Amino acid sequence: MANPHTNQPAHVKHYFVSSEQQFDAAKMGMWLFLVTEILLFSGMFVAYTIYRSWHPETWMALSTALDWKLGGLNTLVLLASSFTVAMGINQIQRGNQKGLLLNLVLTFVFAGIFLVVKYFEYSAKIEHGLLPGASFDPHGVSHGFDYATYNVPYGPQFFSIYFVMTGIHGFHVLVGMGLFAWITWKAKNGAFSADYYTPVENCGLYWHLVDIIWIFLFPLLYLI
Amino acid sequence: MSQDHGHHIVPVKMLLAVIGILVFLTILTVALAQVELGIFEVPVALSIALTKAGFVVMIFMALKWDNKVNATILAVGVLCVLIFISFILIDTEFRGDLSNTTEATIMDEQRMEQTLDGREPDRSDISFNRQ
Repeated sequence: MANPHTNQPAHVKHYFVSSEQQFDAAKMGMWLFLVTEILLFSGMFVAYTIYRSWHPETWMALSTALDWKLGGLNTLVLLASSFTVAMGINQIQRGNQKGLLLNLVLTFVFAGIFLVVKYFEYSAKIEHGLLPGASFDPHGVSHGFDYATYNVPYGPQFFSIYFVMTGIHGFHVLVGMGLFAWITWKAKNGAFSADYYTPVENCGLYWHLVDIIWIFLFPLLYLI
Repeated sequence: MSQDHGHHIVPVKMLLAVIGILVFLTILTVALAQVELGIFEVPVALSIALTKAGFVVMIFMALKWDNKVNATILAVGVLCVLIFISFILIDTEFRGDLSNTTEATIMDEQRMEQTLDGREPDRSDISFNRQ
C-alpha cells in the first residue's frame, strides 16, 4: 500500500508532506468553495430582503400560498440527511465501511424524497398559475380555496424570488445526489478507510451547506 | 492511524442530541409562525434559523474542533454577506428621504437625455419638470 519512495500511504500525492496535510488542504479548499456558495445565495437573500421590506403585505399574504406542511416535511428530510452524513463520517473515522455505506445510501434516499416533495409543490404552483413574472396568473379552485385571491400586487415578484431561490437550491440538491451516488459507489468498492475519506468529508460539508440554505429558506418563504 | 491524525470523531450521542435539537427548533419555528408576533415575526424566525445553522456548522460540520483557518474563512464570508445586505439597505430603505440634487427624477433625466440625443428641436418634448 505504501509508496516505496516516500514511505507514505498510497493515497498521498507526492507534493504533500503527509496524509494530514493533504486532507487539510482539500478541506480548506472546500470551505473556500462553500464561501462562494454563500455569496451566490446571499444575492438572492438580498433581493428577498429588499422586496420584502418594500412590500411586506404581499410577502405575508403569499407565504400562505406555500404549504408549510410540505415545506416542514422537506426541512425534516434535509435535517435527517445531514444527520446521516455526519453519522457516515463518524462510521468511517472508526473504520466501519459498512456503516459508511448504509449512511450514504440513506442520504441519497433522503435527497430523493426532498426532490419528489418539491416536484409535487411545483406542480401545484404551475397548475394554478402561481408563476414568476409575466406568467403570474392565479386561477382555479382547490380544496374549496379560490386561488384568484392570491392575485395581489407584487405577486409576480414574490414568485420570481420563490422559484429562483428554491430552484437554485433544488439544483444543488440534484448535484448533491450526483456526488453521493459517486461516493456511495466508491465506498461500495472499499475506497475509503479511517486513513482516507477526504471525498466523504468534503461532499458532507457541501451537503450540510445545502441543508443550512434550506434552514433559512423554509421560514422566510413558507412561514413569515 | 486515524488517532495520530487527530481528526476529532464527533460522538454518536452528540450527533443524536443535535438532530433532536434541530427537529425541536423546526417544530418551534412552525408553531411560533401560527402566533401573531407583529414586528417580532422576522427577528424570531431568523434567530431560530441562525441557531439551527450554528448547530449544523459547529457539530455536523465539526468546525468546533477544526483547523481555525476554516472558521476564519467562514467568518470572512459571513462578514461580506453582512456588508452586502446592510449597505444595500442603506440605499433601498432611505430612498427619497433626502431630496435629489435636481428637481427631476433619475428616470425623467434619462428621458430628457434621450430626447436631447434625438436632436429634436421642439423644446416642448423636454418637460421633466412637471409642476
